[in-house]
Parts: sequence; C-alpha cells; structure tokens
Amino acid sequence: MVGVSFGEQNFIKGGIAQDLRTDGRKRLTYRDVYVETGVIPQANGSARVRIGGTDVIASVKAELGRPSSLQPDKGKVAVFIDCSPTAEPTFGGRGGEELSSELALALQICLLGGKSGAGAGINLSSLLIKEGRVCWDLYIDGLVISSDGNLLDALGAAIKAALTNTAIPKVQVSAEVADDEQPEIDISDEEYQQFDTSSVPVIVTLTKVGNHYIVDATAEEESQMSSAVSISVNRAGHICGLTKRGGSGLDPSVILDMISVAKHVSETLMNNLDSKISAAEACEDDES
Amino acid sequence: MAAKQGAAATTYSPKIMARTRPPIFKGSDLDWTRPDGRGFHQCRPALLQTGAVSAASGSAYAEFGNTKVIVSVFGPRESKKATSYSDVGRLNCNVSYTNFASPTLGSQGTDHKEYSSMLHKALEGVIMMETFPKTTVDVFALVLESGGSDLPVVISCAGLALADAGIMMYDLITAVSVSCIGKSLMIDPVTEEEGCEDGSFMMTCMPSRSEITQLTITGEWTTPNINEAMQLCVDACSKLGEIMRDCLKQAASASDE
Repeated sequence: MVGVSFGEQNFIKGGIAQDLRTDGRKRLTYRDVYVETGVIPQANGSARVRIGGTDVIASVKAELGRPSSLQPDKGKVAVFIDCSPTAEPTFGGRGGEELSSELALALQICLLGGKSGAGAGINLSSLLIKEGRVCWDLYIDGLVISSDGNLLDALGAAIKAALTNTAIPKVQVSAEVADDEQPEIDISDEEYQQFDTSSVPVIVTLTKVGNHYIVDATAEEESQMSSAVSISVNRAGHICGLTKRGGSGLDPSVILDMISVAKHVSETLMNNLDSKISAAEACEDDES
Repeated sequence: MAAKQGAAATTYSPKIMARTRPPIFKGSDLDWTRPDGRGFHQCRPALLQTGAVSAASGSAYAEFGNTKVIVSVFGPRESKKATSYSDVGRLNCNVSYTNFASPTLGSQGTDHKEYSSMLHKALEGVIMMETFPKTTVDVFALVLESGGSDLPVVISCAGLALADAGIMMYDLITAVSVSCIGKSLMIDPVTEEEGCEDGSFMMTCMPSRSEITQLTITGEWTTPNINEAMQLCVDACSKLGEIMRDCLKQAASASDE
C-alpha cells in the first residue's frame, strides 16, 4: 500500500470526526458483504466472503482423531490463518507469519469460549464420537486473498458461513471393544449431519481514530488507528470474546462504551450475514 | 498418562485429579470454595524482588501463591536480527516454561506459544521505544512453577524487570485476570479454577494513568459481569502498582546504602 501523506491523514481523521468517511460511509456502517458457500468441494465446508476490497476464504475439514487426555469428552478445533502474498508482497515467506498468528489467536478466543466450553461458538461436545477414544478434529483454515482492512471481521464471517456449510459424515462405532484397541469406525458416505451454527458469534472490530470509533475500517483508515478492539457477540447479545489490538492505552469507560456500540452494530450485522449465508446456501443447492 | 491395566507399568505418573463440577449446577449459583481459602475478590499475596539475575541489565522474580516467574531484561543492545535502520527501538519477548513447571511433564508447554506475542503486545504500548533507536531490548520470562494466572504474573514481573533495567516507560505495567465460574467472579484464579472456568477476563493496565493497554476476554459474558470484572481489575491493578513501586523504592534505597 502506498504511504499516506500528511494531508491525507488529516483528511481521514477530519472526515471521521464529522461522521463522513473517505468512501462516504458513516462511522458505524459496514461495506457491502458478499458471501459464497461451497467454494472448495473437497472440504467438509467452505465459504468465501468479500467485504469491500477484503477477500477471504475459509474452509473446514473434519478428520478423526483422539481427544486430549485433559478433556476426554470434547472434540478439538484448530484454527490456522494464512496471509497469501497476493494480498501484500510483504506477506511472502515469513512476512505474514506475525499477522497470521495474531488473527488465528483472536479467532480462537472468539470461537472457542471458556475452558469449560461455556459461550463457545462451536459446541465441542457435539464433536465427540466415543469418550476418551475417538472424536472429530476440526481444522478451520482461513486464507486472506486480498486485504483492504478489517481482516478479522471478514474471517469471522467466512468461518461462520463455512460452518453453516459444513456437513460431517455420520459415524457408526462398534460397541464392544477391548480397552487398548481402537474401536472400529464406519464412516457413512451417504448420510451427513449439518453443523449446528446457531451459537456461532459475529466479530465486530471497532477502530479508534482520534476520539471516535469506526466500524469496518479500510486499510488506509487502519494505518491511522491508535487502537482497535474486536468484540464477538452472539445472537443472544452476549459478549463471547474480546481482544484489544494496538499499542495505545484506553480508558475503561471507553472500552465499556465500545462494547455497547459493538452490541448495537452486531445485531444488524448478524441479521445481514445470516440472510446472505442462507441465500448463498440456497443458491448452491439450486446449482448442485 | 495412567498405567495400562494388565500391562507392565513402564512408568508411573500421578493422574491429575481434576475437580469436577457437578453438571446439574451449571449456570446457577455454585457453591464454590476457593482451594486456598481466599475470598472471591481477594488476590494472592505477592512476593516481588528485583535484581534476581546479576548478569542481566534488569531482572525480577515474582511469586504469587504457587505461580513463580523470573524475568530478565537485556538491553538496549545491538540487535542481530535487524536488517535495516529504524529510529525506534525494537522489543523482543520470549516466554518459556520449565519442564517441571506443571504437574504433567512438559505437555503444558505447547499450549502457551502465544504468551510470547501477548507479552510483546502488552509491553509495546508502555515502553518508550524512541528512547533507544537502532537497538533492541530483549525480555526473557521463565515460568518456574505454573500455579494459575500465569500470563498476568509474567506481565507484571516483566514490568518490574524493565523498571529495574532503567528502560523508559510511560508507567508501570500491571496485569490481573478474573475468572467467571457459574455466576461468581473470582480474581486471580489458580490452575484448578482456570481449568473449569466459564470465561476469563485478562487485563493489563497502567495504574497511574488508568489506561488499559491489553484486554482479552474469552467465554460468554453479560454486560453487568464485564462492568464488575473491569472494576475489580482496575482496583487490583492499582494496588499491585503500589506494591511494585514499594519494591522498587526498597531496592533503590538498599543500593544507596
């Protein structure tokens, strides 16, 4: 991205202060969101989301695995993000690693909830097949193809759409088996169960520029930010996760205000996203 | 790692007796008593010492109950990784666990790879990087024993070590975490409480400026809970800041004598 001149910086900050951003949006307006599901046939579920110039793909693959000894009654979920060099030349090689791990950590915090599983977007107990022996391992991969700001929100939306699109095959487990042996597993090719995504949250990132917060910042607006708070809100209106990025400190009252703004914004975003996802799913069913 | 029944036990290791929460009480008021007998809003007593490592520019040792952490700060010194000129300094953080830090041998270490980047983010907002251009400050944290609330203790201890090293900062940095179990909030959780928590709230703040530099919330929280947790954390951080200042003043007056 070309550097922003001093005049442009003032223009961006001044515009935000007057509730008129450089692309004409208000502070709390999202860009148009485009959702496509089923873009990767080999994955159990996938989706592509475009918000303005930001383009991301999320895919979900389920594989059989063994639950961890610390939590034998839960399946496992791993989130990996890859920032492709097509988005930014600096992402090539190891350049995008820091951003990828930061995004993956933020997504894990938002999707997986507390240690006991409360408030989790994905119910890990539903991934269990046989306690202590066999469970589903979900590998959620996100790929950033083009970056124009607000990567976390786009990835959150793509993962939500991909999970809605995910079909996990039904599994038959042979009951009698000795303690040491692996139980026989019969994976059905025909029957699938859809993933329950009613509790998957949406992520709203509020970027603080000057004294005001904006939602869905473009890349040049993000270059002027002092700090950003990403809040994930579920359908019940409860906060499921929060991460603060950016170096500068925030007053506690500012953070509480951001949380209430995020809740307000997330309602419209959640409804918008849900309708787009069901439209995309219906469209895909028509085609196949 | 329990010994297999019927097979010859090649090794013995104690099975972690996780305190299980009765599932029928989920969501309602739990009768949870804290293992060390503290009140819900009571932090563990803190033992803080500076100058633990004589080879480092600055160092600190912290004991919060069973969580024992030692942090050493090297710098500002020449950075071997930097390839180009930069007129602000660089910060390099690393958090590692000893093999004996937790009851199970070594297996907990892999879960905490992100602690290094979280420590980096907590510190980069506080250190005045422009005071040491072209050079690097290295912060190495070693967790000797993990007794719960590890990352907040590491962050607070790192703040103390940086002050001991004389690195210029906007304010002392303190961190505290709050766990939500059922409907009760408890501050400064131990490993047992963290293992069955419904949500965690970890805050890093600069007590004198009353500014939050890092905030991480997991689990489902209602707004009143968030308000209460934030209040608890801000109070605890300011008290911890006082304790850290006393420790630094004592160290300074001891070296004057």
